Amino acid sequence: MGRGGPQDRGLDLKKVFQIALGIVAAVGGFVDIGELVFNAQAGALFHYKLLWAVIVGVIGIMVFAEMTGRVAAVAGRPVFDVLRMRMGINVAIVGLIASLAINLLTLAAEVGGVAIVLQLLFDVKFGTMLLLGLMGLVLIVYFVPFEGIERIFGYLGCALLVYVAAAVHLKPDWHDVAQGFVPSWHGSALYAYFAVGVIGAALVPYEVYFYSSGGIEDGWTEKDLGLNRMNTILGFGLGGILSIAIIMVSAQVLGPAQIDPSYLGTTALGAQHAYGETGLLLALLGMLFAVGGAAVEAAFSGAYTLAQFAGWEWGKYRSPSGAPRFTLSWLIFFALAFVVVATGVDPVILTEYAVIFSVVALPLTYLPVLLIARDRTFMGNHTNGLFADVLGWLYFVIILIVALAAVPLMLITQQGSA
Amino acid sequence: MDLAYRVLDDQLVDVDGRRCGRADDLEFDGELGSPPRLYSILSGNGIWWRRLPRPLRGIGERIFGPGVVGDDVIRVPWERVDHLDTVIHLKAKARDLGLGQGDDRLAPTIAKLPRS
Repeated sequence: MGRGGPQDRGLDLKKVFQIALGIVAAVGGFVDIGELVFNAQAGALFHYKLLWAVIVGVIGIMVFAEMTGRVAAVAGRPVFDVLRMRMGINVAIVGLIASLAINLLTLAAEVGGVAIVLQLLFDVKFGTMLLLGLMGLVLIVYFVPFEGIERIFGYLGCALLVYVAAAVHLKPDWHDVAQGFVPSWHGSALYAYFAVGVIGAALVPYEVYFYSSGGIEDGWTEKDLGLNRMNTILGFGLGGILSIAIIMVSAQVLGPAQIDPSYLGTTALGAQHAYGETGLLLALLGMLFAVGGAAVEAAFSGAYTLAQFAGWEWGKYRSPSGAPRFTLSWLIFFALAFVVVATGVDPVILTEYAVIFSVVALPLTYLPVLLIARDRTFMGNHTNGLFADVLGWLYFVIILIVALAAVPLMLITQQGSA
Repeated sequence: MDLAYRVLDDQLVDVDGRRCGRADDLEFDGELGSPPRLYSILSGNGIWWRRLPRPLRGIGERIFGPGVVGDDVIRVPWERVDHLDTVIHLKAKARDLGLGQGDDRLAPTIAKLPRS
C-alpha cells in the first residue's frame, strides 16, 4: 500500500475500488436457488427461528473461502490440487466423483431456476425459456471476459436487496427477530432438516471451488491477502444479510398467509407485498441474475474440478483453444444440465437434493484445505493463526455433524414435506 | 522419500507455462542396500488408476487405458525437471515431451468456434 505520493494514492484508490467491486459481486453472487428455496421455506414454516442457522452457515463459508483464497494466493493451489496432493488419489477420486455429481445437480437446479424466472417474467412456455435461458448463459460465458461475467451477474443480482428493504418496510417485531439469532431446539425433525438446509445452502462447495480458482486466474499473490479477507468477510457477510432478509420477508408475508414457497416464484411475493409491481420485478430480476450467476459458477466449478484433478490446462483467461478440454467440459456440463431439467424434474426438488448432498460431501474438500492452510511447508508465514485454527476445526466438527445428519433427516421428513 | 511425497500428484508445467498433466506415479532406481534415486515421473490416463484399491483397477484399466509407456503413459526423466515450487516446472515444451496430447488433439476442433 502507498505511503502518500500521488501515484501511491492512485494505487490505494484502485485497491479500494477493486475491493468494493469484489464485495458487490460477492453480494449478488452469494444467493442462489438453494438459499431462495431453503430460506423462504424456513421463514414460512418457522418464522424467525432459523435465523441463527444463516449465521452458522455464513461464518462457515467465510472461514472456508478465506482459507481457500489464502492457499490460492500463497501456495498457488486451487482446491482440487490441494485435495489430490494432500489426501492422495483414493480420497481425491471419491471427492472428484461426488463433486462432479453435485455440481451437475446444482447446475441443473440453477438452470431450471433461470427458466422458471424467465417464464414468470415473459409468460412463455417453460421448455422455450429453458432453451433460451441456457443459450443466453452459454453465450455470455463464451463471449464475455471473466470480470464482465462477475459484474453482470453480481451487480444485477444486487436487485435482491429489495428483500432487505422489504424486510424493514414490513415493520417486523425486532425483539422476535433478535431472538431468532439465538440457537434453539424445537425437537422436531422438520426443524432440524431446515436448519441443515439453511446451513448447507450457505456452505455449497461450488462457490468455494470457483472462488479459489478465480483467485488463481486473477493472479493473486501474498499482496492480495487483504483483498481476500475483505471479499470473504464483507462479501459473504452482506450476502448473509440477503439470506436473513429472505427469511424475514417470508416469515412476515408467506407464513401468516400459509403460503408454501415450494414454487420458486412464490418467494418473490414478499417483495411484491411490500412494494407492489416494482418490488416483484426487482425480486424477479435479482433472482434471475443471482441464479444465472450461480449457474455459471457451478458450470465453471465442474470444469475447474475436472481439469485440476487431471492436470489439464484450465482458465477462462485462456482462449477456448488454449484450454480445449476445460472449454469442452463446461459446455458439456451445460448440455447435461439441460438434459436433466428437460426430463421434467422439478428444479426445486433438484435444489434440495443438491444442497443436502453438497453438505454430505463437504468434509472431503474442507479437511485438505484446512490441513494445507495450517502447513508451514506450503504457507510459510501465512498459516492459520490461533483464531483461524480454532474456527477452522470448530467448523470441521460442525460440518461433520451436519453431513452425518443431512440424509437421515431428508429421509425422515420426506424432503421437508412431512 | 520426502521428495517423492512432495512431487507425487503435483501439477506439471512446461517451459512455456502450460499445464500439461500431473505426476501420476514415480519411478525409482538404485541397487539393493543403497538409497533409491528418483528416476522419472510418469503421467497420463493409463497410470493413475493403478494406485486405486485393487478391486477398482480393472474398471480403471477398461476406462482409461492399459498403461503403455509412450502411448497412454508418458515418462518424463527427472533430468527434464527444471525446478519445483508450487508446481513442477519442466525444461522442455509439453509437445516435445509427449505431454498434453489430449488438449493438442482437441484444440483444432475447438479452434473452429468463434473467437477462439
